Amino acid sequence: MQKTILYIVIAILGLSSCQEEVRLDLKNQEIIPVIEAVWTDRASLNKVEITYTRNYYDTLDNPIEENAMVYITDLENGERIDFRFVDRLGYYLPINNASGNVGNRYRLEVIIGDQRYHSEGELLEPPVFDSLTYAFEPGRVFREEGYYVRMYGKIPFQDNNFYRVKVVKNDTLMNRRGDYLLFDDTFGGGILENGFELGGFTFQKNDRVKVEIYRMEKAPYDYLNQLVNLLFNDGGLFSPPPENPKSNLEADNGVGQVTGYFIVSSMISESVQIMGEEEP
Amino acid sequence: MLFVNSMIRIALTNRIKLEVRDKGPYWKANKMTFFTLSMYSNHLLLKITSTKFVCFIFLFSCLALETLAQEGNLVVGEVRDKATGEAVPGANVYWEYAPQKGTVTGSGGEFRIKVEELPRFLVISFMGYAQIKREIVEKDLDKPLKFFLSPDEMSLDEVVVSDRRPDSNVVSLELGKTTVPITQLKNIPALFGEVDLLRGLQLLPGVNTAGEGTTGLFIRGGSADQNLVQIDGAPIFNPSHFFGFFSVFNPDALDDVQLYKGHIPANYGGRLSSLVDISLKEGNTQRVKGEGGIGSISSRVTVDGPLFSDKSSFVLSGRRTYADVFLAFSPNENIRNNQLYFYDLSGKLMWRIKDKDKLTFSSYYGADYLGLSEQFGLGWNNWISSLNWNRTINEQLYLDVTAYHSYYNYLISFNDEDTGFRWNNDFSESGIRGQLTYLHSEQTQIHTGLHSQVYHFSPLNLNPNAGSSIEPISTNPRTGWQNNIFLNVDHEFSPTLSVEAGIRLSQYQQIGRGVNYLYEGDDPNTGNIIDTLSYSFGENMASYYGLEPRLAARYLLGEGLSLKGAYNRNFQYIQIATNSSAGLPIDRWVPAGRYIEPIRSDQYSLGVFKNLFNNQYEFSLEGYYKDFDRIIDLRQGANVLFNDNVETEMLAGKGWAYGVEWMLRKNVGNTTGWISYTWSRVFRQIPGINEDEPFNPRFDRPHDVSVVLNHKINERVEVSGTFIYTTGVAVTFPVGSYRVDNQRVPLYGPRRNEDRFPDYHRMDLSVNLKNKDKGRWWRGSWNFSIYNVYNRKNPFSYQFADIYNNDITASPGSGEEITSVRPGVIMTYLFGILPAVTYNFEF
Repeated sequence: MQKTILYIVIAILGLSSCQEEVRLDLKNQEIIPVIEAVWTDRASLNKVEITYTRNYYDTLDNPIEENAMVYITDLENGERIDFRFVDRLGYYLPINNASGNVGNRYRLEVIIGDQRYHSEGELLEPPVFDSLTYAFEPGRVFREEGYYVRMYGKIPFQDNNFYRVKVVKNDTLMNRRGDYLLFDDTFGGGILENGFELGGFTFQKNDRVKVEIYRMEKAPYDYLNQLVNLLFNDGGLFSPPPENPKSNLEADNGVGQVTGYFIVSSMISESVQIMGEEEP
Repeated sequence: MLFVNSMIRIALTNRIKLEVRDKGPYWKANKMTFFTLSMYSNHLLLKITSTKFVCFIFLFSCLALETLAQEGNLVVGEVRDKATGEAVPGANVYWEYAPQKGTVTGSGGEFRIKVEELPRFLVISFMGYAQIKREIVEKDLDKPLKFFLSPDEMSLDEVVVSDRRPDSNVVSLELGKTTVPITQLKNIPALFGEVDLLRGLQLLPGVNTAGEGTTGLFIRGGSADQNLVQIDGAPIFNPSHFFGFFSVFNPDALDDVQLYKGHIPANYGGRLSSLVDISLKEGNTQRVKGEGGIGSISSRVTVDGPLFSDKSSFVLSGRRTYADVFLAFSPNENIRNNQLYFYDLSGKLMWRIKDKDKLTFSSYYGADYLGLSEQFGLGWNNWISSLNWNRTINEQLYLDVTAYHSYYNYLISFNDEDTGFRWNNDFSESGIRGQLTYLHSEQTQIHTGLHSQVYHFSPLNLNPNAGSSIEPISTNPRTGWQNNIFLNVDHEFSPTLSVEAGIRLSQYQQIGRGVNYLYEGDDPNTGNIIDTLSYSFGENMASYYGLEPRLAARYLLGEGLSLKGAYNRNFQYIQIATNSSAGLPIDRWVPAGRYIEPIRSDQYSLGVFKNLFNNQYEFSLEGYYKDFDRIIDLRQGANVLFNDNVETEMLAGKGWAYGVEWMLRKNVGNTTGWISYTWSRVFRQIPGINEDEPFNPRFDRPHDVSVVLNHKINERVEVSGTFIYTTGVAVTFPVGSYRVDNQRVPLYGPRRNEDRFPDYHRMDLSVNLKNKDKGRWWRGSWNFSIYNVYNRKNPFSYQFADIYNNDITASPGSGEEITSVRPGVIMTYLFGILPAVTYNFEF
């Protein structure tokens, strides 16, 4: 917001502000593993992806780690769920399509060579997600003309209100940096009860819209929040010094660097197809 | 011969009246109607003389006039002093073609001169004033003409009455203090032609900026909230307009600016790094005068004059931008409906009550507003008032009492059916300060006094509009009450050794109404609140005190050469919780409290001062070392705006800074200005940041060169130029990249600010062209300036992002087919070469 305002001010003043591409000499750091681990109550979403960082200007794909040992332990009953690397997909999947149970706590362990990494999280109960509605809205200053979708539901929890909303349009996940929708209870917990409009997403007639709500603990939520802030950080005066998002993964004994996240989450979704002027 | 001498006497009398009026100890002399002035080499001797002789000269002049006015077509007129409006008797009036057939003006400044044929050039001249030559045509015969003589500025330089001795640089106890004359400031080429006080101060050694497009001052390692910027004794919270592009001060309204960055006498306190002490101009007591300007983005006007008698005066000043006026002409409706403006108004009233008392009241109000299509609005205001009473108790004892109130508020409104809200906040400081000055002897001066101040930070309110789905938020108010007592003794032990010793005791309390949260293990870092304590109005919530010794000494090593040293301790009880470098209108100030301790600095400085060529050049070399304690920073991803538990987002640590400042300055003559070079370093060490190791804040810029030059080519043309060269700001660049959550993300190393922007450099030039002075009441001048003359692209920011189709403007959402993606770096720079023109006027 601050930067947007700044650029508006500059534009209105008619300043000679300009942008151009430059090549800066950047230092290179030794590569470190990036672990993206998702563990939910839906088997189809559960996976662990392990890649490596690379030099900033490299255009090659990030190297993938295929030989790690990956498993999740249910800390309620001690059950161990092993993951296996799937060549075709380039990531690890749980054996037997396993999934998590709401209310249980889980521990992830990843072993690469002689280095071990771990993280823990609780699979929290999802909120109530009743329905999706949509309505046609004429164009306004800050948004285009089109159909806008509204979510209805209820957040019955006092604590751990950290949510991510993913929007899938016609089977494509909306995943640009501006598509992140993260919310907590700073502005109250009544947000779903009054109908929460997905203001950043415009739809057209016949679009199929799927909305997924993930409820997670604070640590992975903070990671995602910091990730979005970093994606919008322009290194200018109005931005805080850029920092890597704080990972909730740790190397055993504190030796070895790692980035990424372990998201333990429940997921609840609703879908709607936009048919006409108003929803029937 | 006698006649000429007498005229010099009168002429200089008028001049001196203008200069010495209102200058404290001299003002009594003004009551004696006439002086005798004698000139010995470069010195002026002032002696009170009998008025009888001068009366005789007036009489003589009048008789002469009568004899001239006997026949023919007459040109009738009067001659007045432009500055005071008073009649100028004894001025020479003659036709250019026949200088021998002249006349002189009478006691009321009037003259009548015969003419045979028109048009002809009429010349008016008088000692001490610039000569006027005006073409007189037939129609001028119908009416009496008025001529306004302007003081001759060449001779003005020689009769400057100043409270600053020419050798003050060497003999004073001032260390790390700079006075910037407003006239000099006005000559510095300015961005958009807008003369800017804070940008002017940024050109001084020891003053850094965090980047282009910000007026924030970073002085000797201190951040922008460590400067006490005060107007007539009242602090101003946000001294900037347009998000920091311009500072809030209308240069025409200012009298004097003093920057203390080293030794701050014990009379002042409250901030760690500097005092920017600004005085608003007082109105003159002779006649109504004005000045102003019409610039590229704003216009300004200032009017001053006597109020009821010559014992009181007023000055009123206003300035407004007109970017939004141009917006209204845009064919695009979205642009047309936008609003962007700022304005400021200031005024000062002065009453001189009998001989011993003087009362002044100053007020400043400034507002900014940005509105986008009536949907989004952001506005902020500063309102400052200050009442000052000076009393001369006797010739040795003076009392100075100031009561002030400084208020700041902002409002953000968003009109939307679903998520509309109004978000506002305000805060203020009110205080009263009394100081007694006792001039014990020529060697000893004592200042002592009390200062009581209340900081109040109102609840931060977010109120949803009707039908909005968001819920209201309100934080708790925070109030601080600070009392200070100070004593400062200035003593000259011998002609070579002077010492100033001061002590300031500050006592601070956070008081109710308010709330203190109790955290698990009394550690706010846990974020786990175990209890909440509510306090009623005035109840003590937390208290601190600080003992602030201040010491300065000067030792004269020889003719025009001195060595000075100082030690200063300062405490600061309020600060801004931010982790960006630029100040924003919505910055959150937090007062010290149960978990947030006051910050402290200790500064040691040493300097060598030398004046050269009969005090024409001032040279200084100063070094300093400064320690900061309990400096705050924010943890990663901190949210401080809507957070009532702001202490949970803060980290505290220490800092240090050191540097050497070299400056050569010329204040007199046709060429003035300075050249300075600073080498300095700034460090912070805050557990939780940079792996707990020391790091440089963004504004650490080791090398800093400034050149500011002004040259007066002749009476009408002045040229000015500035050149700046500084090390680039300290920043963090990526050391790699990775993919996570479908995003390409730059990877940063564990250390903060170990990279640098390229060096910053820029040259600005300006020409000031005065219109020919034809003796009319209006005097105009044009200022043409060019910012960034050689179009240097100084980076404002670098963005590390994917570049699509080898085009920095392409993006996947734009509908264009994406054929290639690669990582890249996009630089933004704010200002290329930027010309501006301003018309300035005086009347």
